[in-house]
Amino acid sequence: MHFPLWLLFALITLLFWGITGVTQKLSTNAISTELSFLWFGLAFIPIALAILLIVPLDWHLNARVFWLAVIGGALNGLGAMTSFKALESGGKASIVIPLCYLYPLVTIFLALVFLHEKVTRVEVLGIILALVAAVLLSREAPPEQSTDR
Amino acid sequence: MQKQVPSWLIYSLLTIILWGIWGATSKAVANDINAYMNQVLFTIGLIPLLFLVIRSPRLAGGKNRRRGIFYAFVTGILGGTGNILFFTSLTMGGRAAVVVPMTSLSPLATVILAFLVLREKISASQIVGLGLAFVAIYLLSL
Repeated sequence: MHFPLWLLFALITLLFWGITGVTQKLSTNAISTELSFLWFGLAFIPIALAILLIVPLDWHLNARVFWLAVIGGALNGLGAMTSFKALESGGKASIVIPLCYLYPLVTIFLALVFLHEKVTRVEVLGIILALVAAVLLSREAPPEQSTDR
Repeated sequence: MQKQVPSWLIYSLLTIILWGIWGATSKAVANDINAYMNQVLFTIGLIPLLFLVIRSPRLAGGKNRRRGIFYAFVTGILGGTGNILFFTSLTMGGRAAVVVPMTSLSPLATVILAFLVLREKISASQIVGLGLAFVAIYLLSL
């Protein structure tokens, strides 16, 4: 079977982000979401510094690319903040978190319309199953311990 | 407040839109820069947001600050490294419409790890989700 590199990297990403689901839980069991988000964000600085020290980067990039990448980071962080806000403003975690996992719908729409990506019928089925699976997986059993909120 | 859209729903929809656009903007630049450059620029976009929480009164206190901060930092390191890997997948020809739904299955690993490490229970819907996730990954990798 042909195993493309993009697939390998996507699966390792899944694993890394999956582990963060556990470490984030361990963090927010001990401290507020605000303090947790602050230190989550601060951890990005040593990664960026390590890259700047080790990897030669070509800074000749056009403004469109520069800003899209910067905005990407801002959108990602803002999304984390609005998801915390949703939980704080009375949304049940068992509804808010699965709902937020529908974000690939927006990406898929934009990718098909603006990036002119094509998907096969089998992939459409895979995408639908992935969305359903992500929603079901993020629906935790009702918590037995009280939350700190 | 009656007949109004609840604010948690608005925040949830905002999250979907913000994360959804981030997935597409990542792919939009994946042909122009490598994952390292993207990570540096991503960080430049992320850091200003930290000033939004730095005055929060909720930064004080917590049951176990050292432990909480440690795991938050680990979350950031793994999340950031994951972002480098995610972007690498996009630079290697992974389509956003396929890679993003696949990586959004990260709760698959969370559920299994939470079961193994935190001894959390797996709900009935999560068991169905586990099965569907594996089928989805298979179909998306064909």
